Amino acid sequence: MLSRVAENLYWLGRYLERAENMARMAHVEYLTSVEGGGGPEQSGSTWDALIAASGARQAYFTAREAEPERAPADFLVLGWDNPNSIRSTLAQARNVARTVRGHVSREVWEELNQLHLYLSRRETLVESDLFDLCGEIKRRIETVFGLYDNTVLFDEGRDWFRCGLYLERADMTTRVLDTKYHLLLPEASEVGGPLDRFQWTAILKSVSAWEAFRKTDIAEISGRRVAGMLLFRPDFPRSILFCTRALLRHYRNATVDTPRAQCVHAEREIVLLEMDLAALTVEEVIAGGLHEFLDGLQTRFGAIDHATTEHIFRALPDGASAVPA
Amino acid sequence: MSDELFAGYELLSGPDEMFEANGSVRPAYRTLGERLRRWDTQEYLLRQSRADLALLNAGITFTVYSDDRGTERIFPFSLIPRIVTAGEWAHIEAGLSQRVRALNLFLRDVYNEQRCISDGVVPADVVFGAPDYNLRMVDFAPPLGVYAHIAGCDLVRDGSGQFVVLEDNLRTPSGVSYVLENRTIMVRVAPDLFPRRGVAPVNDYPGRLLSMLIDVRPEHVDAAEVRAVVLTPGAYNSAYFEHAFLAQQMGIPLVEGSDLVAHNETVYLRSTSGLEPVHVIYRRVDDAFLDPLAFRPDSVLGVAGLMDAYRAGRVSIVNAVGAGVADDKVVYRFVPEIIRYFLDEEPLLPNVPTYAAVLPEERGHILEHLRELVVKPANASGGYGVVIGPQASDDELARLGEAIEADPRNWIAQPLLEFSTIPTFLDDHVAPRRADLRPYILTGRSTWVLPGGLTRVALREGSYVVNSSQGGGSKDTWVLTDDGEDGGVRDAQPGR
Repeated sequence: MLSRVAENLYWLGRYLERAENMARMAHVEYLTSVEGGGGPEQSGSTWDALIAASGARQAYFTAREAEPERAPADFLVLGWDNPNSIRSTLAQARNVARTVRGHVSREVWEELNQLHLYLSRRETLVESDLFDLCGEIKRRIETVFGLYDNTVLFDEGRDWFRCGLYLERADMTTRVLDTKYHLLLPEASEVGGPLDRFQWTAILKSVSAWEAFRKTDIAEISGRRVAGMLLFRPDFPRSILFCTRALLRHYRNATVDTPRAQCVHAEREIVLLEMDLAALTVEEVIAGGLHEFLDGLQTRFGAIDHATTEHIFRALPDGASAVPA
Repeated sequence: MSDELFAGYELLSGPDEMFEANGSVRPAYRTLGERLRRWDTQEYLLRQSRADLALLNAGITFTVYSDDRGTERIFPFSLIPRIVTAGEWAHIEAGLSQRVRALNLFLRDVYNEQRCISDGVVPADVVFGAPDYNLRMVDFAPPLGVYAHIAGCDLVRDGSGQFVVLEDNLRTPSGVSYVLENRTIMVRVAPDLFPRRGVAPVNDYPGRLLSMLIDVRPEHVDAAEVRAVVLTPGAYNSAYFEHAFLAQQMGIPLVEGSDLVAHNETVYLRSTSGLEPVHVIYRRVDDAFLDPLAFRPDSVLGVAGLMDAYRAGRVSIVNAVGAGVADDKVVYRFVPEIIRYFLDEEPLLPNVPTYAAVLPEERGHILEHLRELVVKPANASGGYGVVIGPQASDDELARLGEAIEADPRNWIAQPLLEFSTIPTFLDDHVAPRRADLRPYILTGRSTWVLPGGLTRVALREGSYVVNSSQGGGSKDTWVLTDDGEDGGVRDAQPGR
């Protein structure tokens, strides 16, 4: 498969998963802020945490200076001035899809294009629309994923798409957890109190894990148990361990024909990560500091991305030795 | 006809595709006319909006601004189709096939023996003065001697009712994807308009295109092992949709210059499993940008070393480098002579009478008749730089005269053709608009003409320019498979 196409399919997976996760987080944040914080107006600080988790803190400060009345949710969901907004992320997904139009089905392309057109028509965001809008975005992205699974060849391209998707999902899960890491600090107040439980429930809901948690764990909701599930449950499709294993599987499928010297770099990173995750317990993680652990994971995800890009997608043929006989 | 839709339809000068001069409907359009009569304006608008939405959703658009929030527009699609009878088509098909055969022989000749020059058929300065005459192609013949593998010839129906060739496009003619998409849309939104006797299908094109690419592979490559690619300048090119569409329909990779490398006179594709040889390149990149080592050194769209691999016979380029010399508008003036010389046949499809300013006697005629003529730059496309004498100001004509004197090789002139009009829906009524027809001709081991082609229509009132870049739209084109006894289309069950 063409290296550029592989890279673009990988990014298509990443952008779509990123947008879907952000829509999910905004969706829950909105509900939680209405219920728990006296209405959307009072919810500035939690939106700030979400914006920071999306990696747009600096852009947000700049935007807010220019326009102090701007709703944070508008910046996060529709902001064209925010390269990480859901709308900007989906515009990038669509641009990438355009360059690999021949590798996704017409159905996938049209669904994604229609989502882009749907968002392009939106003006500024009214907060009361947030619930419906984010729900709609989520539903449409899930439709793209469904169409991808049912109308596109199960070939190398799909494996790269899935690699991007799982790496992004693992990364987003660490970011979601990280927004509440302070609740697990020993000195934090209200640990185990009703507000605490309310926050952890919100986290579970933002990664669609609430029902799964209830099914598998009858105990009281606590930070420890929620973190344990999102990090280590091997059968929950959004846990870090699950994503890492899925990533490894798809990476190996994608690189079956790739010269070992090229594909070994990222594979080594993924294998070592999987080993570490399988050996750790949530108690050990909390003892060492959840925030530091999540930080370390994000660095390792970055290393996997870097190794794949440098050694596979952008690898330059090293002269005559790369030329087949 | 429908009192509502066709009220106020007034024929312009020149023939109309649907109506005779006396206002009666031509036989081929009778069934269509009857069916359209059942539509009122509401019905029409509903169908049109469904068609527009389908095009928008499919992303068949061009970008107005190039940023991420760039407004994208669809190329206007005009719902009332153009109909070509089976009899007319047989003539067009034979004429185009003849023309492209002669042009390929001409190309082979001007890059090799140059007999047509020494025999005085085409003046040497006309050939060598063509900006697309490519010195890197001299003493080289591509596989099967084919240069213009894909040709798009623009036809119009002139005042006498016959089809004439307005220009040839032999470099990278575009628009064929719209032929296929227009048909898809038409079947979707107006299935009730299709005649029972049948319209020639167009979806055969990608398969034919792929067979042709395999035909012209380098000699050393086995047909089963050919790797062909479509080379695009990238996603920001206005024809990118078409490049992606054709690659997908053929099931071959769509590549950019940076995806290819040339090494030891072989071209390779950079893939995740290493480098893989490439044998045929259907390029949608202009000659000048193909190879920074051979042509423009600043090009980032091409592949360094591609020309060496091409000349070594290791890779085929479609269309051939330098094919543009045969669609030069001054060379066009000589195509009837080229057909007679190379094929010893009379041209089946005539040229539009054309004056080349480079010939002193014709230059005089042009300068004296600027007011009546349409003057075109010899080497531009997209309708750019065309001056329509009857519609131009004195100032414009004076400047044009100076430009012709300064660079006669760059100008040709033709009489203003009152070419045919076709009913076209505009906001709330149907009006006649000028239309041309661009059929597509493929040449590998043999020549094949796609039945139909792109009908482009000038949407602005009074306009003779059909190019999409100048506000033109397009229509589905129906080649009838059977004309029936009366030359029209019969329908046993008009109420189906």
